[in-house]
Amino acid sequence: MSILVVLLSLAAGAYALAVIERWAVHGHLSLTGPAWAALALLGRESLLARKSDRLFFELGPVLLLVAGLMAVAVIPLAPGLIITDLATGALFLNAALAYVLVALIMAGWGPNGAYAMIAGWRFLGQFIAYAMLIVMPITAVAMRAESLSTVEIVTSQEQLWNVLYQPMGFILFVVAAMGLAWLPPLDLPDATGELAGGVEAEYTGVRLAVLRLARMVIILALAGATVTFYLGGWLGPWLPPWAWSAIKILAVAAAMLSIGRYMPRIREARYLALSWKLGISLALANIFVVGVIALVVPI
Amino acid sequence: MSELSQYAILFGLSIGVFGLVLSLYGLARAIGRARAEPGKDVPATAGTLSRDPVWVRYHARYAGYALLFLAFDMEMAFMYPWAVVYREEGLIALLDMGVFLAILFLGLLYGWSQGALRRQ
Repeated sequence: MSILVVLLSLAAGAYALAVIERWAVHGHLSLTGPAWAALALLGRESLLARKSDRLFFELGPVLLLVAGLMAVAVIPLAPGLIITDLATGALFLNAALAYVLVALIMAGWGPNGAYAMIAGWRFLGQFIAYAMLIVMPITAVAMRAESLSTVEIVTSQEQLWNVLYQPMGFILFVVAAMGLAWLPPLDLPDATGELAGGVEAEYTGVRLAVLRLARMVIILALAGATVTFYLGGWLGPWLPPWAWSAIKILAVAAAMLSIGRYMPRIREARYLALSWKLGISLALANIFVVGVIALVVPI
Repeated sequence: MSELSQYAILFGLSIGVFGLVLSLYGLARAIGRARAEPGKDVPATAGTLSRDPVWVRYHARYAGYALLFLAFDMEMAFMYPWAVVYREEGLIALLDMGVFLAILFLGLLYGWSQGALRRQ
């Protein structure tokens, strides 16, 4: 039962996010826009590039959708409203999102086009930049909660949300999450205007619809992870828990989507240097600071 | 819910995604099929098919980062179980991991000084 509710709210969330994206990126607020766009994509031709690697080309978007759904499966929306409350939830989230890299490289390699290929390999460089900054802040969160279960992590924040307990980890995690979801300004793999769409360049019609849907699910999963790990999940006064989850997740996703409007794209070399020189040092300092606080203060 | 049934649910969901995608493809096929025309299926570059395989054009220039990444990624495998028992173990755990992370961080600084943190 709860599985069905989570899946339905995921579908509703993906639609709401598509509306928000259009509004945040292009400045048009249209409630029916994404539905018409999806129908148009279904009606368009879905071409298969000549000399393509058919298996990789077809599997790329599907694997991306599977990875996003697996990540969503461990995110709690309310007490009891979660697909699977794994004891290793936070680790499972990482494992699922690691497949985003595989899927994007497959999608880049598949069509045998120069732009897509460059975009896929670029994402590998981007992965090396963001990967450690996803896992290290989560370690600090698990240290406080004494568990990797996402439900336990939310309940550990009853006294004080992690965003105040470990603000440095929050910032690092959000920036890394934007890299993972290749949102602007870290949108190297699709780099609109530079690589003609990058990994999306050769996808048309229904395959592009699946790719876009997968992207929405991944953004939702990462917003959900941010809310679960740092913003107290379903916790909040007055409103019911599910409403708090929905409000927080959509707000975080909207913030992630709109930052790109105000920043230029960051080059791969610069992103790598920033995250290894500054990011890793800050993440290690964050683990140490949280370690000291966790031993001194009992909350 | 037992562990096994949880993983069975996750497996079922993955299979379900394939079902969803296949039904979307079926729907699109029902609306209409692609018309085969010459030049339509060429990847977006210059309008003609590239003479050479395209994968020779891109060089990964972040090998130094990649090597450091391997070391740090291994370290994370140790840190998750450590994080879960951290508060039980107390100060000992902080010192143990502190020494380990200090060595690793020195490795990062050494790599930095040798020019590993640079796009070659």
